[in-house]
Amino acid sequence: MNEPGTSRQRILGRIASATKAVAKNPTELATAYAALSRTYIQAGAMSAEARVTRMIERLREYDAEVIECAPSQLAGAIALQLATSGRRTFVVPAGFPSKWLTAGFEWKIDHDLTAAEIEEADGVVTAATCGIADSGTIVLHHTEMEGRRVITLLPDWHLCILRASQVVEALPEYFSLCSQPPRLVTWISGPSATADIEMTRIKGVHGPRYLQVILVRDESAQVQVN
Amino acid sequence: MTQALGNPVLDRAVLDPVFAPPFPQAVLPVLRNPQLRKNVAHAIDVIQGKRARLVAEKTDWQALRAAASQVRELALEDLGAYLTEFEERCTAAGGHVHWAANAEEARQIILDILREENAKEVIKIKTMTSAEIKLNPFLEAAGIGVFETDLAEIILQLGEGEPSHIVVPALHVNRSQVREIFERRMGLKDLSDDPHALTDAARNYLRRKFLDIPAAISGANFLIAETGSVAILESEGNGRMCLTLPRTLITLAGIEKVIPSYKDLEVMLQVLARSATGERMNPYTSLWTGVTPGDGPQNFHVVLLDNERSSILARKTERQTLKCIRCAACMNGCPVYRQTGGHAYGSVYPGPIGAILTPQLMQMHHAQSLPFASSLCGACYEVCPVKINIPEVLLELRSQVVNQERRTPGRFFDPMYLGLRIANVLFSRAWLFHLAQWKARIGLRFFTGKDGWIHSLPSVGAEWTQTRDLRGLPKQPFHAWWAARAKGAK
Repeated sequence: MNEPGTSRQRILGRIASATKAVAKNPTELATAYAALSRTYIQAGAMSAEARVTRMIERLREYDAEVIECAPSQLAGAIALQLATSGRRTFVVPAGFPSKWLTAGFEWKIDHDLTAAEIEEADGVVTAATCGIADSGTIVLHHTEMEGRRVITLLPDWHLCILRASQVVEALPEYFSLCSQPPRLVTWISGPSATADIEMTRIKGVHGPRYLQVILVRDESAQVQVN
Repeated sequence: MTQALGNPVLDRAVLDPVFAPPFPQAVLPVLRNPQLRKNVAHAIDVIQGKRARLVAEKTDWQALRAAASQVRELALEDLGAYLTEFEERCTAAGGHVHWAANAEEARQIILDILREENAKEVIKIKTMTSAEIKLNPFLEAAGIGVFETDLAEIILQLGEGEPSHIVVPALHVNRSQVREIFERRMGLKDLSDDPHALTDAARNYLRRKFLDIPAAISGANFLIAETGSVAILESEGNGRMCLTLPRTLITLAGIEKVIPSYKDLEVMLQVLARSATGERMNPYTSLWTGVTPGDGPQNFHVVLLDNERSSILARKTERQTLKCIRCAACMNGCPVYRQTGGHAYGSVYPGPIGAILTPQLMQMHHAQSLPFASSLCGACYEVCPVKINIPEVLLELRSQVVNQERRTPGRFFDPMYLGLRIANVLFSRAWLFHLAQWKARIGLRFFTGKDGWIHSLPSVGAEWTQTRDLRGLPKQPFHAWWAARAKGAK
């Protein structure tokens, strides 16, 4: 307990002596890491169509609402979803294309909106980086089109635009598409939920209680993440 | 944290291995509480059913387990290298990394950061590590208001209860008990016991706190060495609130939480949610790297906690304890936990993983009864997503406890150790063994029933027959039968 030095030195010293029989030098470590068994499924075998169907199925299982549209119909689909929601004020990320900002709604473009301003909005519309069909997961890298983390958190209603070409089947496929690990990521699988009371899944605690997805059928395009 | 601190704030009998009664004693009030047992069994059955279904659909489950196990093993074998890599990358990304050798240091580091930030209140994401170091009572005694934000933690904080599970800490509380707590503590009238209404109550109770309180404390599911990032898995969005809205964020993480690369999450995310809550994926997983200008807390601290983990690391068999990713599948699968719930373990880490982790965190000075709180059926090992051989560690710890006890002068005349010493002499000499058998046959005849069973013994023997019957000794022991048989054959 009374080893000399700072806590950092003491802890690292204790770790070094605890692992001296097994610790490797950097080269050996890289080799050992590369040799880890990764015999789990690296990529799915589904057709593009089946993959998208699975994604939609899994999203719906989480109680997310999904509609599909062709790339040319996107602006109309967004307007329709907003109108049906009965909501008026929507936050969008700074890089959101203005051609999708349909008239008839109040738009708050996130140029450093305050939390209070975001909280007052009825909903938020963003793009996404990737969809993982196997678990119905939407991945946000918080790019200009996806926005800061806070905008997809405070509003109660999140409309997310996901292109079919962004959907992969298995989680490892997403990771192999990331040439560079991102700084910020949020993986979203359905609306906020809890099962803390008697293990009953209740939709919507603190995050958005409603998750809507527009799936844009642009199959011909290549899957891209970074 | 290995002894009583002589501190009225931190010395509490609840869930503190230093003060907790031994497991067989602690379990008695639970066994007499049918409501509690019903709540626990119900919750466990629901999680178990969901987990089994989702694991079965995963055709590569065993391959994922093998990979998860290997990733964790490698991270521990080269923990020093991975931790310094994490520190370097996290610092380069604008985070501050602190090292805490024990609970006291970690608490002080956190308090100092909060004082410097002038934070009078702090919001928290569920972290069992903070319960391990008794952070809440410490901060409260220092005048800082602590608000738990996970629904289960709110139930416990407002109801002044203690966690009984590491993933669903209020698993032992049912809806009408939650309603009673919320009505009383949130000042709500006519609250229904519908889980939707209760969840709404929690949402309203916390909304302003998320927006107003300038500092948050979190745990960590994973620290990523390659990038210096931290990952947190959650369901409710309270985690995202704490990670995004405050000015200052403090992450408290055990040193064992590090994994080598971003890519390793492809394994961990697949096994963790399925094992923990029986979902394909938990609703929200957040990953962040240091500080991102304009997005989230601009002041980020990581406190790396040792608190005896490095001594566990030094032991070959026990090292695997640190592979744990806190999914709680072992407690959900454990036939003992299902009957007792978590409180009897007298630790914030209950169930099979608690039975091996707690005594080791206590340097084997406390919680010695926990390695015996198991039938060694192996269900925990079978469900463990990182393949911790819990029965193997239980046996190793049992042998340490026994070695400790039999050398304790006060236990020299303990009936068990006395009996074992006598047995040691008898069993090593055939003639003594035969003599003892002959005497026992005569002596036990008075206690053996007509059915050939001994149902009740006097004195120390009663400790055995209180809960089980003993087979009476046969008229002819095996060796006599064997000798007679050999003679007959000639």
